[in-house]
Amino acid sequence: MDAIRIPPPAELDGLEDEHFRQVVRAFLHANYPEALRNPPKRLHWAENKAWYMTLAEKGWLCPGWPKEYGGLGLSPSKQIILTEEYERHGVARTNDHGIVMLGPLVIKYGTEAQKQRFLPKILTGEHIWCQGYSEPNAGSDLAALRTEAVLDGDHYVVNGQKIWTTLAMDANWIFLLVRTDKTAKKQEGISFLLVDMNTPGITVRPIINLEMHDEFCETFFDNVRVPKENLVGQLNKGWDMAKALLGFERIFLGSPRQSGYALSRLKILAERMGVWEEAGFQDQYARLRLEFEDLKALYGTFVDRLKRGQSLGPDVSMLKIIQTELFQKITDTMLEIAGENAGLLEPLDGNRDLNIGGLYIQARPATIYGGSNEIQRNILSKNVLELPG
Amino acid sequence: MSAAEADDRAESIRMIRDSAAAVVPPDGDLKRIRALRFQEPGFDPAMLRQMGEMGWIGLRVPEALGGAGLGLGEMCALAEELGRGLAPEPLIQAALSAQLLAAAGGKGALAKLLSGEALLLTAWQERADTLEAPGTPEATRLFLPMAGGATGFLLPARIGDRLALHEVPASAVRLETAPTQDGGFLGTITPPRDLGTPLATDIGPALTEALDEAALVTAAYLLGGMERAFAMTLDYLRTRQQFGRIIGTFQALQHRAADLKMQVALTRASIEAAAAALDAGVRGDARRAAVSRAKARAAEASLLVTRQSIQLHGGIGYTDDYDVGLFLRKAMVLANQFGSAALHRRRFMAVSPEVEA
Ligand SMILES: Cc1cc2nc3c(=O)[nH]c(=O)nc-3n(C[C@H](O)[C@H](O)[C@H](O)COP(=O)(O)OP(=O)(O)OC[C@H]3O[C@@H](n4cnc5c(N)ncnc54)[C@H](O)[C@@H]3O)c2cc1C
Repeated sequence: MDAIRIPPPAELDGLEDEHFRQVVRAFLHANYPEALRNPPKRLHWAENKAWYMTLAEKGWLCPGWPKEYGGLGLSPSKQIILTEEYERHGVARTNDHGIVMLGPLVIKYGTEAQKQRFLPKILTGEHIWCQGYSEPNAGSDLAALRTEAVLDGDHYVVNGQKIWTTLAMDANWIFLLVRTDKTAKKQEGISFLLVDMNTPGITVRPIINLEMHDEFCETFFDNVRVPKENLVGQLNKGWDMAKALLGFERIFLGSPRQSGYALSRLKILAERMGVWEEAGFQDQYARLRLEFEDLKALYGTFVDRLKRGQSLGPDVSMLKIIQTELFQKITDTMLEIAGENAGLLEPLDGNRDLNIGGLYIQARPATIYGGSNEIQRNILSKNVLELPG
Repeated sequence: MSAAEADDRAESIRMIRDSAAAVVPPDGDLKRIRALRFQEPGFDPAMLRQMGEMGWIGLRVPEALGGAGLGLGEMCALAEELGRGLAPEPLIQAALSAQLLAAAGGKGALAKLLSGEALLLTAWQERADTLEAPGTPEATRLFLPMAGGATGFLLPARIGDRLALHEVPASAVRLETAPTQDGGFLGTITPPRDLGTPLATDIGPALTEALDEAALVTAAYLLGGMERAFAMTLDYLRTRQQFGRIIGTFQALQHRAADLKMQVALTRASIEAAAAALDAGVRGDARRAAVSRAKARAAEASLLVTRQSIQLHGGIGYTDDYDVGLFLRKAMVLANQFGSAALHRRRFMAVSPEVEA
């Protein structure tokens, strides 16, 4: 490990893929805090700030951003390698909405002034972003959103409510989809607005999730005045911009690593419970394992498309469905073989690898967010198979 | 059973359901349940006493020994109602201990146990996922629900080729508890060297029967829970709107609901058949097969139904505030109690290898 030199950030994109992978491993080995490997719950800013700042200092924070904006300028395939190695190492997610979503959107659609104003502050950790899309009555049907922004002089006045805003309590900025034209077709009256969360009129109320963790929030807007220049892109074109970002998100949601992690833990649990050698269990495990291997192969074909510079079509929905449901089946199996230990609130034997109930619960929302699996199946049947109706 | 007997039976089961509903309102709010979560002992001792006063702890104990002398039909109906209301009181465990004390001739603290004044837990389990009680005298005893509220423990102990029964006060054992997903606790105890007061010398057959009954009654509790989670989900499908439509109009969701309904129906059929068979006095392999079938189905179906209930609710299903999650957590804790689905499937095949066409 130590023998591998970690080149300056600007050189990373030029490395040959396998070499790059080794560099990432060495980087994590040297820099990632051991105590934060595979945390049982999503970390708050107070917990992951130190790691975020390490990434910021080393210039590794924004792998997908072009170098001119302070990113690593990695190709999609290198970004995937990076993600794979992060997942393999058990690197926790940071408060990454600025890095993964807002940054790329500003780079693509923002004005020069917006780029100057917002991108550097993501890179320094000064701005922590959260995503305000969903509303109580606009979930799967996101375009039905009603939080409105009305122009009043130099400001938009925002009123309404967002919900399921992940880590909003840690964020000081939020990017919103807001309604700016109530008369247009619902997708055509939506705009993209950046809001400082310290503006008067914003209330954030944490919601405890099924993991008994305060991870997402309700976010209320009561006559919140937002400077006009915080609108990104054209007025009423927010929907198209937000959608353009989704393709890349879906391939990440389809990454087989989560299932790989769970499979290795299932084996550890099966050994602990003394069922690993049983023929019945071996058959069950083999099914899951083969599905994992086949998912990897299918995922690989999408990665290859990206490598060849092709864009991904709606068929990428398959990856998200297969991966999230496989992850669930693996955790279901963990529960089934754990005997009475299945009900424990804490990991068995105090061993993080045996977080039976925790993993079972964590596997649930993956089929709900990022476009529920029902919605993904609708996309497959309509947009890929072109079935009528 | 004659038609008149069948009517009496149905009436008796209806009365049990009604009295259960008076104490644990089946569709009532779950504030009581929430208030008891994650703090010792994980249930309300006053409620357990009330259950004792209702005659529930001794429901299966003969009248001559102070019980109600009722059947498994009644006991399963009761557990179902408790499951619907997610009652955390360790009634199934208390009833199991009462049956053992009854088998021992009404010794020990039976009267106090029946009234709910004392809570005796039977410490039979030495490893996970089993229905065997080896009775190893010095062995640590595992997975004792709500053990922090126990006043004492019954210890099966192998002496020679028989299983004796001893009673120890809670003060004589070392107890550790671990929190569970539903807000309750599982206790581990180390028995004292002297094993406390001997009550009976041959409790083996009674314990085997009582464990089978507890497995069936647990299945019924799971049935009540999954039915309520399913009902909440159907309500949601009937009211939640997206895309300008009630989501229950989407055929994908209609089919999902239909699939869940069939699992609930199979579970109910399996449990009612098992309760009827046991009440009719079937013994041996047939008894074990009936119980295992019901518990295997209930374990699997309750996990499936509660998982899908979360999914069909979307984001709100993933919050602790919304009640449907409480049913998922309860199923996680109870699905494997008194034997997992896999254990019961194995046991079923061992005792009932041939298909009767
Ligand atoms: C852990 C978690 C984190 C999240 N983080 C964020 C965040 O940071 N920011 C943000 O904006 N949002 C976030 N979300 C919200 C997420 O995007 C929504 O939960 C999701 O879009 C589903 O919407 P909903 O919850 O309103 O469910 P609904 O849309 O009401 O769905 C209820 C059920 O109906 C089904 N359904 C709906 N429409 C159809 C249809 N046409 N055909 C078939 N079935 C259908 C759904 O699949 C689901 O099973 C998060 C959600 C979760 C669970």
